This record gives sequence, C-alpha cells and structure tokens, in this order.
Amino acid sequence: MAYNITQDGFVARVENLSKSYGTGDGAVSALTDVSIGLRHGEFTAIMGPSGSGKSTLMHIMAGLDSPTSGRAWLGDTEISGLDDTQLTILRRRRVGFVFQSFNLVPTLDVTSNIRLPFELDGRRPSAGESEWIDQLVQSLGLAARLTHRPSELSGGQQQRVAIARALATSPNLIFADEPTGNLDSRTSREVLTLLATASREYEQSIAMVTHDPIAASYADRILFLADGRVVDDVVSSGAGGMSAEEISRYMLSAEAAA
Amino acid sequence: MRRGNARDHRPTVIVAALGSAFGVVLLLVTQSLGVALANDEFVRDSGSGALLLSIVALVFLVIAVYVGAVVTTNTVATVIAGRTRTIALVRLIGSSAKAERRLVAAEGLRSGLIGSVIGVIAGVAIAAGAMRVAVVTGLVPELDYPLLDPVIGLPFAMVVLTTWVASWVGTRRVLDVTPLQAVSAAEESRREHAVRRTGRTAWAVVLFTIGTLLLALGMIVGLFNPLGVLIGVVGGMLSFTGVVLGAELVMPPALRLVGRMLGRGPTARLAAANAVRYPERSTRTTVGLVIAVTLVTMFAVTMESFRALALAAAAESPGSFAGMDEALSVAVGVFSTLIGFSAVVAATGMINNLSLSVLQRQRELGLLRALGFTSSQVRGMIVAEAAQLSVTAVVVGLALGIGYGWAGAQSLLGSFSGEPAIIAPTVPWALVAVLAGVAALLTLVASIAPSHRATRVTPVAALAAN
Repeated sequence: MAYNITQDGFVARVENLSKSYGTGDGAVSALTDVSIGLRHGEFTAIMGPSGSGKSTLMHIMAGLDSPTSGRAWLGDTEISGLDDTQLTILRRRRVGFVFQSFNLVPTLDVTSNIRLPFELDGRRPSAGESEWIDQLVQSLGLAARLTHRPSELSGGQQQRVAIARALATSPNLIFADEPTGNLDSRTSREVLTLLATASREYEQSIAMVTHDPIAASYADRILFLADGRVVDDVVSSGAGGMSAEEISRYMLSAEAAA
Repeated sequence: MRRGNARDHRPTVIVAALGSAFGVVLLLVTQSLGVALANDEFVRDSGSGALLLSIVALVFLVIAVYVGAVVTTNTVATVIAGRTRTIALVRLIGSSAKAERRLVAAEGLRSGLIGSVIGVIAGVAIAAGAMRVAVVTGLVPELDYPLLDPVIGLPFAMVVLTTWVASWVGTRRVLDVTPLQAVSAAEESRREHAVRRTGRTAWAVVLFTIGTLLLALGMIVGLFNPLGVLIGVVGGMLSFTGVVLGAELVMPPALRLVGRMLGRGPTARLAAANAVRYPERSTRTTVGLVIAVTLVTMFAVTMESFRALALAAAAESPGSFAGMDEALSVAVGVFSTLIGFSAVVAATGMINNLSLSVLQRQRELGLLRALGFTSSQVRGMIVAEAAQLSVTAVVVGLALGIGYGWAGAQSLLGSFSGEPAIIAPTVPWALVAVLAGVAALLTLVASIAPSHRATRVTPVAALAAN
C-alpha cells in the first residue's frame, strides 16, 4: 500500500507533541514536546511508570485522542487536526487494537469479532483478505472456536482473537495496550511470541504500551518515558539488546532517580 | 447507609408518582360522578351506577399498578446489574448478601413513598381542576364533591406496596453477586444467567391452555346465546395472564424476528444482538407495553365489530339504534385513554431501561468507537435497539388484541342476528396507524438521551470507564 510508509521509513511519527489536561493553574501536562518515529515492521515497546504519559502518547498516535500542540502522522497522513469522523475511519482502516481486557464485543461470536473492522467499513473482506483471515485463524489456533462467544473463551484465547482482529486489516500500526496485563505468565509468553512473530514474519508494525520488563524484552526497540518526555530509546532484542533483567534494572534506577 | 446514586431511582419515583396520580384522579372523578348521578333529578341513581363506575375504575387502576410494578422490577434489576461491582466490594469487606438486598429494597420502598406522595398531591390537584372545569362548563351541577375522600388512600397504599414488592423481586439478583466479582476483571463476560423458572413456565402454559379452551367454548356458546361472552371473558383473562407470565417464551423470539428485519449491516446486527442480550430484561421492558396495546386493541376490535353489526341492524329498523354510534365512539375513546395511561407508564420504563443499559455498556461502546464505529453509527445502533423494542411490543400487542377482540366479538355477537353467525375479525386500521405513530415516537424519545450520552464520550474515556 502506497500510504504505508513515509519516505523516511516511519510508519507513525510525532513532532513536538504536547498534551495537557485542564486549563490555567490546574492544567496537568501529560506529554511535553515529544518527537519520535516508529519504523515499518518494528515491534516497539513503550515503557514508563504510571503517569509517565505512555498511554496518552499511544492514544494520540492511534488516533484515539488529539494533541494540545504538535503534529502526528500515520503513514503520510497527518492525523493531528482530523475531526472525529475522519479519525474514526482512519482507526477502522489503518490501526489495529489489542487492549488489556474487554477486547471483544460480547454479543458477537469469534468470526464476527474478527471481521468487525470490515463490517464497520460497510464491506466484506476481499478474496485475498478472507484467505489472510483464514490463515490467521489457523496459525492462532482459533479454528475450533469460530462460533464461540467471548464469554466461552479463556483470557488467552480472547487475546488471540483480538490479535487476529488487529492483524486482519493489515493496518499501518497495531496498538497494544498492556496486552498481557490480565494473563498468567505462560499465556503472556504465548501472546508476546505471537506479537513478535507477527512483526517479524508479516512486517507488521506494532507499538506496545507496557510496564512489564518481560513483555518489553520481546520487542525490537524500547522507548522509555518519564514525566511526559522520552528519556531513552534502546534496542531490545538481538545481539546487544537488553534482557528483561537489564530493563528491570533500568526501570528501577529511573524510579530511584525520580 | 446509602450506596446508590439517587439518579438510579428517579424512574421508580416517576412510575410511582404516575401510578398514584392516575389512581387518585380516577377514583376521585368516579366518586364525584357518583355524587352527580345521585343528585341528578332524572337519573336519581341509588348507587348501582356509581358502584359499576367504581369497579371499572378499580380495574383500570389495577392494570396501571401492575404495569408499574413490572416496570419497577425491571428498573431495580437493571440498576443492580450496574451496581454489581460496588455490591461485590462491600461483600468483600464483609457485608452479607441479605443485608445488601434489604438495603436496595429499602431504597425502592423510599422511592415508592416519595413518588406516591407526589402523585397523590398532583392527583388531587388535577381532579379538583377537572371537576372545576366540569362545573364551570355546566357538565355537572355545582355540588359538594369529595376531593379529600379517604379513597385516595387506596391508590397510595397500592402503589407503595407494589413498589416495595417489585423492588424486592427486582433485588433477587443481589444474592448472586459474589465478593470475587469485585476483584475479577471479567466484568462483561459474566451473564445474567437465566434463573430457573420452570414452575412459572408450567403455570403460564396451563393458564394459557385452559384459558384458550374456555375462550373457544365461549365462542361456540356465543353462536347461540350472547351470555357466551361471560365464559369468554374468564377464558380471555386466564389465557392472557398465561401470556404475560410466559412472556419470556414469547418476547425474545419476537424480538429476534423483528431484529432480523432491521437488516444485515453491522449497526443493525449489533443492535439486534443487544436487544436480546438479557432476554429477561428485554421481556420485562416490553411486556408492559404489550399489555397496554393488547387491551386497547381488544376494546377497539370488539367495539368495531359491535358497531358494524349495530349499524347493519340500524339500517333495517331505524330509530332503535339512534345515538349508538356516538356512544360507542365515546366508550372506545374513554377506554383507550384509561389504558393509554398504562402505556405511558410502560413507555417510561422502556426509555429508562435503554438509558441504563447504554450507561452500563460504556466500555463496549468505547471499544466499538476505537475499532472504527463512527458516532453516527453508534447513534444508529441505539435508535435501532429502541425501534426493535417498541415495534415488537406494538406488533405482539396488536396481534394479541385482534385475537382476543375477535374472540370477544364472536362470543358476544355470534347470535346477534338471531341465528349462529361467524363474525369476520376486523383490523382497526385507524388504531394501527396511531400505534405505528406511537412506536415511532417512542423510539425517538427513548433513544435521544442515551445516544446523546453515548456519542459525547470519547473512546479513551469510555474504555477507561468501569
């Protein structure tokens, strides 16, 4: 898709982004002058203590919220300044979501949940897309669950359905907000492996907000936020990458310094 | 100790106020008419006319109070569904389920009391105003009409009592809340599991069967003797009670059917699924309206059949049926207004229920918005849900009303012409048109507030909601 990547290779980018809540003396600044870019096909973890602005940053990059000042792009579309309907259509077509919990529409079965983004767009998946969905369903082990309702699935299965839905539209960016926050450690590893595999094999760009060093260690790159600013940007996996222990130690020292 | 939001009980207060105001006006006006009749030099009613009026008034009062009780039970049950987490939290800290239930039921009793007091005051004022207007316009003579008659205690007591009982029934679900629900995150995966109610279903089936058989018997007897209608009335009451008791067998399939007619788009499909998500809740939401529509339609159909026959007879022997047409029209009008009041109570319940259920679905709406549901799609979904509920209630009510009305007409009028005759069932098209308008209006009114609220919340805020 032509709009997927800007010339500089970023799939999502923000420039001098600030966000504050409230006005006057009571104003709280959640983000201050943040400029980052997420590269195509990269699995990025965004870490930071509670209140560091990591969720706000991701909400803006995913078109769920708008900045107070600064600019944001998804692909080559500038999304700061889009109105609510434009943002909604953008999310529908070009962003995938995996939340911590409550990811699925309880009244729809697994198939309908996975196909929901297409339906919301008023169309059926094309032949190619249907094939892609079938492939996802197979590889995520959901084939036997297609007619089940979310309430009949375990937490891990629900997250896998959410991942299938997020991947189904081949979006520019998948936004995962503490995707393992509600899972036991074994299921967490499974889900994280799935996300890492999706990024590696399908060149899917993924941004994951987390405060779990183990989760972050699955990513290619980690952005650390504190007090609304990006304080570090490191390579995580591979040779010279940070291990979960190192990430933990880094987080602890950042806490102590604060 | 109050743990709830006063807002939660506003609909209960409104329903209680409507019910008691209606009862007070009805009884006071009936009494006053009795006084007027007794003093009329031509009628000199000795009390039998007044007694008949009182009985009719009481029947309408009972219908309104019953519909009000169904609405309140539903409101309380819905409120509790929304408060599960809070209740679970206090259970976690150590409160017993029974104590919690008593607390919520006590809130219901208090709402019933407040509502009834407001209703009685409003009712007395309205009755006084109405009689004043009647005296000034010369409709009734200037007499000493009883406006603070002890009879106003009756609707007051009935409404307070039924509100309390309805709250008690509605709070049954408090007992199902486990302390664990306060800490578990699987909030929405929990379902309002169906309470086993085989006993109730059995009663519904038995009553419906016996009632329908009696109704058929009434129709056969009616071929030879108009007294067949007495058997028919008993049969009709039994079978309709069966339908109301067994509404959970009738309404969800009807809602699904109407939901399918909404179309296959995502908005329509989600709306259709929402309306039957909690079958028990949707049933109670619609059953009040079904009762009211059935009764209005039944009266209209019976009267219409009677009028058709009377007009035919009048054509043969002019004079003997003079004024009949006007009298019948007035009767249909008065009955419809009186029953229409129950419909207002039922509609209040529906509006409130939709509001609450949208409020309780904040996170789901947030998810849909995040995934790409535009605010106008959200609005469309809520309108479709409201339409599904009101259209289903009206259609089921119409079908039942036409059926019962026809059975009534057949058993009353089968021997009208002197020999056994089959009366063709009539469809009161004017009423159908009015009801279609009512359904449209109700859909609109019921979806305004919830869709406004649902579209104002940003996806981020909705997802964070608990």
